[in-house]
Amino acid sequence: MTKFLTGAAVRIPLIIWSILVVFPLIWMFIGAFKSNAEIFSSPWSMPETYNFGNFVSAWVDFSIGSSFLNTIFVTVLGTVLCLAFSIPTTYALERLRFKGSEVLFNVYLASMMIPAVLGWIPLFFLLMNMNLLDNLFALSAVYAISQVPFTIFILSSFMGSVPKELEEAAAVDGMSPYGVLFKIVTPMVKTGIITASILNAITFWNEYFMALILLQTESKNTLGVQMDLLSTNAQYESAWGALFAGLVIAVVPVIIFYAIFQRHIVKGMTEGAVKG
Amino acid sequence: MVQSKKQKYLFLTFCLLPTFLLFVIFTVYPMVNGIYLSLFDWSGMSANREFVGFENYVRMFNDEIIGKAIYNDYFFVVTKVIGIMILSLFFAVALTQLKVKEAPFYRVVFFFPNIMSVVVIGILWQFIYEPDIGLVNGLLTSIGLESWTRPWLGSMEWALPSLVVPAIWAGIGLFMLLLMGGIMNIPKSQYESAEIDGASEWQQFWKITVPLIWPQIKTSMIYIVITSLNGSFVLVQIMTNGGPGNETEVMGSYLYQKAFEDFQFGYGATIGVLILILSLVTVLIMQFVLKREKVEY
Repeated sequence: MTKFLTGAAVRIPLIIWSILVVFPLIWMFIGAFKSNAEIFSSPWSMPETYNFGNFVSAWVDFSIGSSFLNTIFVTVLGTVLCLAFSIPTTYALERLRFKGSEVLFNVYLASMMIPAVLGWIPLFFLLMNMNLLDNLFALSAVYAISQVPFTIFILSSFMGSVPKELEEAAAVDGMSPYGVLFKIVTPMVKTGIITASILNAITFWNEYFMALILLQTESKNTLGVQMDLLSTNAQYESAWGALFAGLVIAVVPVIIFYAIFQRHIVKGMTEGAVKG
Repeated sequence: MVQSKKQKYLFLTFCLLPTFLLFVIFTVYPMVNGIYLSLFDWSGMSANREFVGFENYVRMFNDEIIGKAIYNDYFFVVTKVIGIMILSLFFAVALTQLKVKEAPFYRVVFFFPNIMSVVVIGILWQFIYEPDIGLVNGLLTSIGLESWTRPWLGSMEWALPSLVVPAIWAGIGLFMLLLMGGIMNIPKSQYESAEIDGASEWQQFWKITVPLIWPQIKTSMIYIVITSLNGSFVLVQIMTNGGPGNETEVMGSYLYQKAFEDFQFGYGATIGVLILILSLVTVLIMQFVLKREKVEY
């Protein structure tokens, strides 16, 4: 009996918190299929008919479609660029000990502790002077650089465990250091690359503030900025259904991603957080 | 390895230089330039940049909204640290030590809000607080507490606490996992010998679990402080825009307003410097305070 009671005492908070997490999401999904009138008259019930009009309205009228494609673009390009910037640096810092390698590594690490807020004003003017405002390539590059320290941090622990003999053998066979880096070491740290890339991709997909500052026309907006606009407009036009649909469009890719890469995400996030 | 010194340096340069240059241009330079900009009065046009020394700082110390914003930022910090630490510590212990069969299910569910975008979380919670169709007022009405319903985000005294809830909601998962990692590394024998000595589960928690996962607790608390001082303004920006009045203004949202809406870039940069200094000072103090407690054990 006491065993049952303690079991219940532990489970009740767990169940309540699960409901607190899941219920708003379910509510959001259901709302996406309702008409505006229905959302107001019976916010709690299931929709009477499932109509996809809200999705069409969000996708076309509120430009969620174009921002969805823009977000895919910056997410993919940002993730790839970040790897291109980070892999050679990590290799040099972790494997080719040289004078100052430790200092440089620590400079990168320390930059993760420093708030980025202050840098946003100069960054805005820097890109303005380079004529790169409102440019998705520039935004991807800025994203990539912003995640370089974190990526170096994740990759360095993986590179540290690649056996040195492999590199030496390849060098003896006459392979250039470039070959060793790209043909031997890079494939060996595939797990680290995947972990870092998944977390970077999620960060870029969700990013809001830099996009808000650095993008200027609606056709260039990414999902975060466009959702915020949609939310403001929805209040004037009471287009609640379209807003719910927009939320669903923004969340579904993340849910799918989480379902596939759950283990990688959890492991990378907890390792990344320990850096503090 | 058979290669000349020159080749080696060439390779090192290839590996390091491009990334480092970009890092300096897009990360280091903006930080330094931000501090420099705080000494100017500047509307963004290059023609009328005027050096004003520490005038922006004098103005900042006399700005009532800054006082409010700092208070609000630390209100977030304190409530988030307490709320997140209590809940995630409880969940971490429950899922690792209290023999809950379906623990993996909870772990997956609780972590999910951590990977949602702040924009989505903000909009979703705006709905939850919506006076007419929102979940909170709906729930209160349905259990007969109609008199408690109110426009949560539009209320002077309830707006700020209402913003803390989604911040905690979205933060639990990560810290729960961090603490679970620490707990699972504690050797079982520690608890076994404590049990033989007749220690209750509550005593075991305070005498074994907490001291042994202290590094994780400390890391979590510092991490919450940093992310809160530098990130909670996004939630504010989306959910209340600092309102009603300036009731929920935090330093970051005020910086955005001053710089990108009022075009007072010098003053905005000054607020940025304030955020930087307060973050560093707070983290240093916490390092010191939390370290002492570890020595006691």
